Amino acid sequence: MNATTAVDRAAARGSDETPPRRSRWRRRKRAGEDPAGDIIPIEMYGLKRGTTTFITLVCALFAIFTLTPIAWIMINSTKTQANIFETFGFWFARPFVLFRNFSLLFQNVDGYGTYIQWMGNTALYALLGGGGATALAAFAGYGFARFSFRGSRMLFYLVIAALLVPITAITLPLYLTYAKVHLINSIWGMVLPSMVSPVGVFLMRVYVEVSVPRELIDAARLDGAGELRIFFRLALPLMVPGLMTVLLLSIVGVWNNYFLPLIIFSQNQLYPLTVGLGLWAQRAQNSGNAELFPLVVIGGLVTIIPLIALFLVLQRYWRSGLLLGSIAN
Amino acid sequence: MSSTAIRAPAARTARPRGPRQSAWIHRRDRRGLWFVIPFLVAFLLFMIAPLGYAIYTSLYTTRIIGGTTFSGAANYTQTLQSADFWSGVVRVIIYAAIQIPVMLVIAFFFATIFDLGVAKWGTLFRTIFFIPFAVPAVVGAVMWSFLLEPQFGPFVHFANAVGVHNVDFFSSSLMLPSIIVIVIWEWTGYNMVILYTALKSVPRDVVEAAILDDTPLWKIILRVKLPMVRPAIVLLIFLNLIGALQLFTEPLILYYFQPQAISVNYTPALYIYWTAIGDAQYNLAAAAAVVLGLVIVVISVGSLAFRRRRGELG
Repeated sequence: MNATTAVDRAAARGSDETPPRRSRWRRRKRAGEDPAGDIIPIEMYGLKRGTTTFITLVCALFAIFTLTPIAWIMINSTKTQANIFETFGFWFARPFVLFRNFSLLFQNVDGYGTYIQWMGNTALYALLGGGGATALAAFAGYGFARFSFRGSRMLFYLVIAALLVPITAITLPLYLTYAKVHLINSIWGMVLPSMVSPVGVFLMRVYVEVSVPRELIDAARLDGAGELRIFFRLALPLMVPGLMTVLLLSIVGVWNNYFLPLIIFSQNQLYPLTVGLGLWAQRAQNSGNAELFPLVVIGGLVTIIPLIALFLVLQRYWRSGLLLGSIAN
Repeated sequence: MSSTAIRAPAARTARPRGPRQSAWIHRRDRRGLWFVIPFLVAFLLFMIAPLGYAIYTSLYTTRIIGGTTFSGAANYTQTLQSADFWSGVVRVIIYAAIQIPVMLVIAFFFATIFDLGVAKWGTLFRTIFFIPFAVPAVVGAVMWSFLLEPQFGPFVHFANAVGVHNVDFFSSSLMLPSIIVIVIWEWTGYNMVILYTALKSVPRDVVEAAILDDTPLWKIILRVKLPMVRPAIVLLIFLNLIGALQLFTEPLILYYFQPQAISVNYTPALYIYWTAIGDAQYNLAAAAAVVLGLVIVVISVGSLAFRRRRGELG
């Protein structure tokens, strides 16, 4: 199929005739039959021929835009520093040094730190911080959604209002307090603040509202079950898709966090990947002789692979998307 | 969706409510506080307390000789008079005013397409568009720095190939558009997924009724579906605005690569960072952070209020 005809067809509107399939569907609809399954078949929208092709083409263009940097980083992770600068960015060049570049990730190349250690740090911070954030949000979201204790509404709005506070206004004083309580260069200085996720609480509350019926909880109470038991045995299993979404969002949040670790860590063996890569990017530019650019490129590539894998594996959960969709209700 | 069947107000009012009953409800509801307390403790320690400390710090001045003294509004006066700070604020406002509408229009366009199912391989495209969300801003900015680099970057080659010579994506006039492209690349997929899930929950009968009334498709999209996903759009505007006004990572990484192309005080968050970490003027930085917070509150709450008023009129 070629692009120009699709464009021409899409542009050549004007005739008022309804495509035959649409009218047939309509007749059956009026007659009270339900011809379609769950989704309205696209024939019913009365689109001109070629529209699908044209729209698919637009999607493909945006997909190319989206994948361009990813393709670039994959191709250039196989190049030497000279080739990164001197050869065409979207094709391979000899020598093919992917494996040599990869092995650099296990060495302390310029005396400023080892990639693999930063990766371990990042995974640790993301698991502890993201897991903690999800647990706290699950409890709090359930508490806000299913109990109306005194001040609960006000507290909830306070939590939401905290979204407006700039990260800098929180991180700077954290740094100053850490200096006093010896939390500078401690992993807890990174993990504990990461556990506070107002968005997570908001999403869990919304999710509990739509997925954990009050009647079920009340019935369990009449049977004499304790509140904690009700939460763990009854509510929590129903909250799993929501929990997965919050967990995923919090892990990504910690994994990608740059500002907090940049400020609070001064020892490079504690850096997460983002700070380490930022440091290398800076040094690669300033110290011309060290071959740091290939390290930045392969390091960037290896940083994004685990997260993309995580998304594809957990797709089922976040794509069910009930959670965010229900915001609209 | 199933929410009507599940949601509880009906069941709640149906229960007989004697005095004993309401006391029971009261006691039961008080127990809810225990579920919220773990989060609240962390919230107080790592959000409210630091914020309070920032305000406290901003009222003092530390000198090498003389130590820390109370200086009242001095740091605020200095921030409010700082041209560096305000030029950054103006820049992120312009940036937000362009980046957010463009991104939301693109995101809504694709969300609509995937919701209607009018593109082939919709699921595949949806997955591809979401990928950048998994890419840390640091890595995204590094990749784009290479792609847009003025001497060897492939995009300059492309521009030459199509006859546009001597483009410098990092010149002072193109820097902001370049950052906008980078951020659109990073966040469109995420916004799209949220809009897509919101569109999915538009009741089917409403759309069917519109089709039976011979409503053209574009009208169904703009007059029927768009108003129904309005809450999701408002939420996205709100979240994107808060993020945009705190723009930090992308310009900092670009600064590492092209120190001559971007000023150190390009955004207010960078101004605060350099004031605190570069110059060790923590008190001044704290004051600037508080002012930035107020700017964010005024703009985001103001935009919400504006939308509400328009909604009432319309």
